[in-house]
Amino acid sequence: MTDRLIYLDYAASTPVDKRVARLMLECRETNYANPSSNHAAGRRSAATIATAADQVGELLNVAPGTIVWTSGATESDNLAIAGGANFRAHRGKHLVTMPTEHKAVTDVFRQLEKQGFEVTWLEPDKNGRLHPDRFAAALRADTQLASIMYVNNETGVMQDIATLGSICREHDVLFHVDAAQAAGKVPIDLGVLPVDLLSLTGHKFYGPKGIGALYIADRPGCRVQPILFGGGQQRRIRPGTLPTDLIAGLGLAADIAASSIDADLRHLKALRETLWEGIRDVDGVLVNGDLESGFPGILSVSVDDVEGESLMLALEPICVATGSACNAQVQEPSYVLRALGRSDDLAQSAIRFSLGRPTREEDVVFAARRYCEAVARLRELAPEVAA
Amino acid sequence: MSDDPYSPLVRESFTRPAHAGDLADAVTVAIEDQGIRLRLSGTQADGRIKALRFRVWGCPHVIAACEYCCARYEGQAVESLGAFRASDIMQILPVPVEKTGRILVLEDAVQSLGQRFCDGSLPG
Repeated sequence: MTDRLIYLDYAASTPVDKRVARLMLECRETNYANPSSNHAAGRRSAATIATAADQVGELLNVAPGTIVWTSGATESDNLAIAGGANFRAHRGKHLVTMPTEHKAVTDVFRQLEKQGFEVTWLEPDKNGRLHPDRFAAALRADTQLASIMYVNNETGVMQDIATLGSICREHDVLFHVDAAQAAGKVPIDLGVLPVDLLSLTGHKFYGPKGIGALYIADRPGCRVQPILFGGGQQRRIRPGTLPTDLIAGLGLAADIAASSIDADLRHLKALRETLWEGIRDVDGVLVNGDLESGFPGILSVSVDDVEGESLMLALEPICVATGSACNAQVQEPSYVLRALGRSDDLAQSAIRFSLGRPTREEDVVFAARRYCEAVARLRELAPEVAA
Repeated sequence: MSDDPYSPLVRESFTRPAHAGDLADAVTVAIEDQGIRLRLSGTQADGRIKALRFRVWGCPHVIAACEYCCARYEGQAVESLGAFRASDIMQILPVPVEKTGRILVLEDAVQSLGQRFCDGSLPG
């Protein structure tokens, strides 16, 4: 038994890299001027922000001028989807997405439905993937925007963004990708991928919370209407004084990620294999998603005949998630896992282990052993199911 | 103020449920409702409860409530089970109000067990 917390919830948030934290502190102390101010100190802040835009641009292989700073992925998703749909509303009001998207996406679509848009919700297959043929069949002459996430936050399932994006280009449909769980973790080359709008957030890849970005492709017809109004910053797309320290931190986190992404992926793959090897023999354990094509930083498992809340408590001191972290206060089965065909009980027993750069092999070995013990103990406690 | 949804008593009762298990030749009540499965077993002698055991599939508060209840009533008069109230245990542990339905299932089981003791039911 250890009193040390073992943090395996990196899909919810990551610690700020020490180099990032140092830069941000320095920035707060010396680079505090408003970047919109037309004096030397303001220009220094603006230069810092320009450097960060270069760094994020390099991570995604795009021009820095295509980056719009936001408060995080939720705002980026809102701006992309609501802004994109409203910009093209005069051409049509049909939109496409999946029910397994993050709430920051699905709730925007539900709001747009209330405003008169029609949304097609495409169900995934049993592994959480969207087949491109089904996607193509859903697009219509009046379809204006589709939004599909890169890496699912609950299961790690990765969609075929290249193919889906190509289909959107063929149909002149704006293609938004929620890459909150992908940016800085898997290679994203927007010089190749046909993506029009892409959301990311700093705190998922060792940057600060409260800062994110929206990539808006520089091509005809690819624009968004602002959802905030006030100043004229960021070409009026997203007004508001820019937080220089947060942006500098996000930029450096992107720079670090760009140079470590391959090593990170190898590290995560090895850890996930160790974790899965340690729990795969538990009777009735199921992987939510697909190990072969999924992001290796996430392993979501469900198990028969164990209550999820008790399992989570029995796993302490391991910090994991049941369902998505944003839903942790709500006692209802994960809508993502229900969409994959899991029963209410299986969905409620789901545990999401998410691994990160600081995770060590001994952490996942301990977690696997703890999981096996917890399941056994709770099953021992339960009465037999009535015949 | 603690952000921990589980009190020290809930944690202790969940982690070390001394009364989890079965009893030979016991009167048993089994209920499945409100998303939990509960089996409560007891033995009595001379009008007093000799032993209580439980098995349960449920959340930590329900497990803790079962353990607390068994520990509380062992050695007491069988009639005392009829006085068990969910509201009491919800204050003592405590249990969040949204889980009231689950604790009412335990109340039903405890009172039913008391009734069967008083009726002189055979084990089963």
